[in-house]
Amino acid sequence: MSDVIIIGGGPAGSALGSYLSKAGISNTIIEKSNHPRDHVGESLVTNTTRIFQDIGFLETMEREGFVHKYGATWHAPSSQGKLSIIFAEFPVEDVNQPYSYHIDRSKFDLLLLKHAESLGSKVYQGVSATRVLFDAGGQANGVRVRIGDQEVELSCKIVVDASGRDTFLGRHLRIKEKDPLFNQYAIHAWFENVDRSDKETGDHIHIYFLPIEKGWVWQIPITEEVTSMGVVTEKNDFLISKMDLEDFFHHHMQSNPNLTHAMRNARRVKDFKTEGDYSYTMTKFVGDGYVLIGDAARFVDPIFSSGISVALHSAKFASEQIIHALEINDFREEVLKPYETKLRTGVEIWYEFIRLYYKLLPLFTHFIQIPEYRLQLFRLLQGEVFDRKEAPVLQAMRDYIEKVESTEGHLLRKQLIEIPIE
Amino acid sequence: MDKETLLKQYIQKELIKSRQAKLSPDDDLLGSGVLDSLGILQLVAFIDEKLGVQVADEDVVLENFQSVNAIMNYLTSKETKQL
Repeated sequence: MSDVIIIGGGPAGSALGSYLSKAGISNTIIEKSNHPRDHVGESLVTNTTRIFQDIGFLETMEREGFVHKYGATWHAPSSQGKLSIIFAEFPVEDVNQPYSYHIDRSKFDLLLLKHAESLGSKVYQGVSATRVLFDAGGQANGVRVRIGDQEVELSCKIVVDASGRDTFLGRHLRIKEKDPLFNQYAIHAWFENVDRSDKETGDHIHIYFLPIEKGWVWQIPITEEVTSMGVVTEKNDFLISKMDLEDFFHHHMQSNPNLTHAMRNARRVKDFKTEGDYSYTMTKFVGDGYVLIGDAARFVDPIFSSGISVALHSAKFASEQIIHALEINDFREEVLKPYETKLRTGVEIWYEFIRLYYKLLPLFTHFIQIPEYRLQLFRLLQGEVFDRKEAPVLQAMRDYIEKVESTEGHLLRKQLIEIPIE
Repeated sequence: MDKETLLKQYIQKELIKSRQAKLSPDDDLLGSGVLDSLGILQLVAFIDEKLGVQVADEDVVLENFQSVNAIMNYLTSKETKQL
């Protein structure tokens, strides 16, 4: 028997397995697929490096030759205007690399799972959890799994849901809430011959704004030759377009001048994939005997590549709370709660940033050029949202938006979109 | 260099970025698409920093930014107020 059973061997589950194994706590990771398998979410913010250092995974990242990500570039919707930031300008605390990584998820997830295994996690692939078991008092104490055509019950002290966008436990417990503001849809695929020849920004993530509300395209280098391209729009824009996936995708490739240029010789090398369910939260991240981490707890719009940083940090914070709970042999909700508070507070800052950003797009580009706010925005973009209550720049952005809303004839008024800011 | 020249130079060089014919003081900056929303904010930052005039958030309206002349009038009115 393991003390902890982790459902899901993606980045959150494998990072948690690594932290627990390093602390000498027995844990089992149950993964329904057999890695390698494809997954969306291919770009990392810089503070993920700190977690790689913690769990001794940084050497693997370097050895395996993942593309180094030195910055980010945004492209205006209808002009050739663009804005770049270089991470080296403000390094992340405790991290000595001026770059982060772009990752082929099939490879990254496999390596991280193997890493957890090498540290001591028991790993079962191709095994699905069918339900979480609870004792008479309602405390989670095991997981029922399917192995081949047999079902087996495994007992443990704490169950962790790291099932990602499946939100396994959240669905079973009916604690999943869709976000009312963001209902987007992504269509993405891998391409060769995307023009990344610009020396300064070729290895950046590129975000191209589309001339529609909450619409944008990502460009993420996967290898020297391969680039991931994804269109994100409101789900409704896709439905009313009456186009098929491929036409819709190419239609948008033509709607931003810099994007059209980058894609002029591109050739698709993988099938199109789609993602829905853009933003959601579970009403709680912990309960008696269980903890939810990563996308299984909360997912915010991916425009700033926050997903893996949140997943890895949630694993770190959850491990701290789980270690404490095991020490005092008490796994009730209130013992695990500090983890939830910490994660929720951090992710709320991400969410608030994303909301203000979409609300009035030019503001971000404006504020990042104001010296007083630049460092704060950099810290947000690096993923440094934990261990703080509020970023003053967000209040300044809110104030500016209120001024635009209340000033008759303000020149930015028509750029405002329908997102409540309170 | 006087403020008007600085202003015209900045708009011509930084915001228009094309080899369009010379910018006249009465040219419509907004309707013609010379200035997009980002350009407006860059221009406001330029006026703050380089011309030393603080543009209040609520002053970013059509009548103050329609043309180089309009901006100059606005700047003059701000300076008169300060005296």
